[in-house]
Amino acid sequence: MTTLNVRASAHRKIIGAVFAVPALALFGLFAVYPMVRVFYISLFDYDLTSPPHWVGFANYGFLWHSEQFHQSLEATGFYLLFTYVPAVLLALLLALGLDTKLPGSGFIRLLYFAPVAMSWVAISVIWRLLFQPDGLLNQVLGTHTPWLTSAKSAEWALVIASVWKETGLFLILFLAGLSRIPRELREAASLDGAGAFRSFRYITLPLLKPMTAVVCVMAVIRGCQSFSPQVVLTGGSFKTQVVNLYVYKTAFENARMGRASAVAVLLFFALLMVTMLQLRLFRSGER
Amino acid sequence: MKKLSAVLALCVVGVAMTACGSGSSGSGDKVHLTFWTHTHPPMIALNKKLIAEYEKAHPNVTIDYQQIPNTDFNTKMLTSLSNGSGPDVINMDDVALRGDYIPKRLLAPMDSAAQTAAEGRYLPNTLDGAKGPDGKVYGLPTEFNATAFAINKAAFKKAGLDPADPPKTWDDVAADGKKLIAAGQGGFNFLYLSAGQYTQQLQILLNETGGRIVSDDGKKATIDQPLGVQALELWNTLVNKDKLGDPHTASHDATAPFADFEAGKTSMTVMYPWGVGQIAQDNPKTYKNMEVVPLPQVDPSKPNGRWYGYYMAVNKASKHQAEAWKFIDYVTSQNQRWLTDVNFIQPVKDWSSSPAAAKVPFLKVWEQAYQQGRFDEVAPHWAEVQDAIKTAIESTVLDGKPAGSTLKQAADTINQSLSE
Repeated sequence: MTTLNVRASAHRKIIGAVFAVPALALFGLFAVYPMVRVFYISLFDYDLTSPPHWVGFANYGFLWHSEQFHQSLEATGFYLLFTYVPAVLLALLLALGLDTKLPGSGFIRLLYFAPVAMSWVAISVIWRLLFQPDGLLNQVLGTHTPWLTSAKSAEWALVIASVWKETGLFLILFLAGLSRIPRELREAASLDGAGAFRSFRYITLPLLKPMTAVVCVMAVIRGCQSFSPQVVLTGGSFKTQVVNLYVYKTAFENARMGRASAVAVLLFFALLMVTMLQLRLFRSGER
Repeated sequence: MKKLSAVLALCVVGVAMTACGSGSSGSGDKVHLTFWTHTHPPMIALNKKLIAEYEKAHPNVTIDYQQIPNTDFNTKMLTSLSNGSGPDVINMDDVALRGDYIPKRLLAPMDSAAQTAAEGRYLPNTLDGAKGPDGKVYGLPTEFNATAFAINKAAFKKAGLDPADPPKTWDDVAADGKKLIAAGQGGFNFLYLSAGQYTQQLQILLNETGGRIVSDDGKKATIDQPLGVQALELWNTLVNKDKLGDPHTASHDATAPFADFEAGKTSMTVMYPWGVGQIAQDNPKTYKNMEVVPLPQVDPSKPNGRWYGYYMAVNKASKHQAEAWKFIDYVTSQNQRWLTDVNFIQPVKDWSSSPAAAKVPFLKVWEQAYQQGRFDEVAPHWAEVQDAIKTAIESTVLDGKPAGSTLKQAADTINQSLSE
């Protein structure tokens, strides 16, 4: 490389860095700074209207013993497990069925994707009507279940509405992953006598792994960050106060900003660890 | 040198005048006040009229009036006060005032002369809803509510009941409710809305049984004591054992607390003065058939009720405190119009003998209710206490768990909050 080329390359790098400065500044201001600030506030007792009072790690100590916080973790775990495992599996099955160029398949994909394009609040309002004791769901099932006003059913009501809403997103992602698998591979397997299951097990699934990793990471993050359906459908009653709703109530209804920040910090690290674990698991399978 | 001294002196005077101007509003200074209330359409309409009149009489004053939905009010107020953007004038319920805003020193007290004048103007104890532990008054009432009971006369007649002989005890409510339901009419139910409203309704029953949510010193939960359990069991018995109403199908719409009574799903409901005005406006047919009667009692020989009020107060951070109090003075001085236009009773002395009061529906019942009420309890971290109460009521009334165990759990949660 000539001296002139080296200079030109260095010049381009500097120009690139200068162009990146505004975006980095905004990212720092609106993403990094708030995160650091949340961690900082978690070390204080702060009620919004009085000066913050240093308490060290007392907020974390409180959460260790707090029954309400533990209940919110249970509610989040239940919601994550029973919403996102079925939603991901259902999306995979539907994607396999819709991975075709038959006429009308595009329209059907659109139908499945429609709930994803709608806001959580709008969908929750619709489901709230369906879940009424004299609503459509009970009429169809011939039951009188108090879907939203009983601890026996409220968690399941949220699961039903959420599976309906979230499946479409994962479906689109799986379809995108399937479209990148060359058809020739499956055709060759078919010629070699592999049935549909073996073709799925040994060709489709391994090649779909990168997209499956993305879907699983997204599912865990979305499950842990759920907030709107719980607010609109149950208000957090009947064992549906998930962690994010606990954060909101602790911060803005009970004016305990330090404690709410401590929960947010714990949630951040929990998500970080789970995501890293998931990615490591998927990578280890590739070796 | 003399010129320089003169210029400096002028500068000092100028700075001083500017400083004075920012702290008070002389008759010519432009003053911009912000005023926040919750949402209640008849109240909003009158507030707008009063603001227009005040601005006309005080051309230097402009008032920005904002209405905040009830469910968001506390959150918005707290966050705005934390960053200094809060309103100058706040209309706030007494629980929030005594539980949060006064203890946190967010409000400006009345000066002692104004307080003395106000205490001479209002009925005894009715300013306690805005009084701090320092004995200072932090607000003047725009509405003051006592508790009564409403029955649907037409439904009573259809069930063979005499509306002139309304239920006097909760046992009577159960007996009449069963007859109403047998005749195909609505029975009775409580409201299943916010944590605050759950707690307020339980306080009605607690006042009658003699139970308390927390001890008098505010340091220990007492809601799980026998009189507290009795109050929740009374609620549960009326709804689930006597089957006067289905809590699962009751309206959960906080913007229409009397929806079930107006729709005929219930023929009896707890009533407040403002509710009469709202029903008259929303559903004239129900209003025509409605009779307001004294609140049923656990023990009629020891009648008790619940008081609550909304008070106009001044933000301590306001730069226009004097002007804000003047505006409050004007609004609260219109007590006759609050009665005629909104059905809000302001507890000024002799309110019931005024010409406007003569037109207040069910005046005698309200007069009696004002003799036997008490303000709700408050304690530190009251929002958490209300949440614990709500969970206990839901677990018992909607999920069928025993009142003793759900209130024990509530007491544990409350004690944890109080201990911090």
